[in-house]
Amino acid sequence: MHILIFRTNIETDDAHKEVGQLLNSHPLIIDWNIDKEDIDKVLRVQSTANNSLEIISTINQAGFMCEELPD
Amino acid sequence: MNIHLYLSSKMRTRDNQKELLVKQKAIELFIRDGFDGFSMQKLAKACDISVGTLYIYYTNKDDLILKIGIEEGQRMMEATMKGFSPDMPFAEGLKKQWENRSSYWIKNKEASLFYENLKHTPYAEPILKEISGNFRPIMKKFVENAIAKKELQYLSFESYWCVAFGPLYTLLKFDISGKSVGNKPYKFSKTTMYQTLELVLKALKP
Repeated sequence: MHILIFRTNIETDDAHKEVGQLLNSHPLIIDWNIDKEDIDKVLRVQSTANNSLEIISTINQAGFMCEELPD
Repeated sequence: MNIHLYLSSKMRTRDNQKELLVKQKAIELFIRDGFDGFSMQKLAKACDISVGTLYIYYTNKDDLILKIGIEEGQRMMEATMKGFSPDMPFAEGLKKQWENRSSYWIKNKEASLFYENLKHTPYAEPILKEISGNFRPIMKKFVENAIAKKELQYLSFESYWCVAFGPLYTLLKFDISGKSVGNKPYKFSKTTMYQTLELVLKALKP
């Protein structure tokens, strides 16, 4: 399993819901959560593949900022 | 999936040393800034790691507090139960409890203080649920046995606990702050502990 961590601007409940629908229907994603309390609105994804770039592009296409948080 | 996509991203791996450092620093920060003043960003900075790395171990602040709280609580309960049996005579069992609790506290001051502070937060309940296991039934049996053997007088649970353990924790808290009442310097010693315990045992006799 891979843990992928991103900085986003997913802040409101509506945004959370919208992104949630995308992630929930993704076949490779096991679980995810967004830490809305954090300044970086960190998105944490547990995925069966190391598909960071694909997740970034999916979320970007929905109109939100999403970039990988460096190690 | 495209092989380029797969290779372009680094794998995130867990590192036990790093995890240990994160726990230590988190406890320090909680004690210093309180639970409201704590943030994942502050913790990452204190550990000199990126916030991204921190999220490998924990999903958010609540998850971190719960996980560390459960781990600390479990360690403490195990230490408390070492060499103790609910069938011991009351005086011997309570002495063992005092010895176990105080030696754990003295050896793990920061973790103990962190756990004490947790008790007055909404995290306390889910943590206790996770760790109490056999602890409560064993302590209950110890008290019931002692009452049946006429070694302990029957009291409400709160009165019993206040007398049986309150004085010990007062001494331990004096030790943490380095002073007792009126700023008098104080360091925990077995002599004061046994002196106090003797009075506690006297008070609890039927």
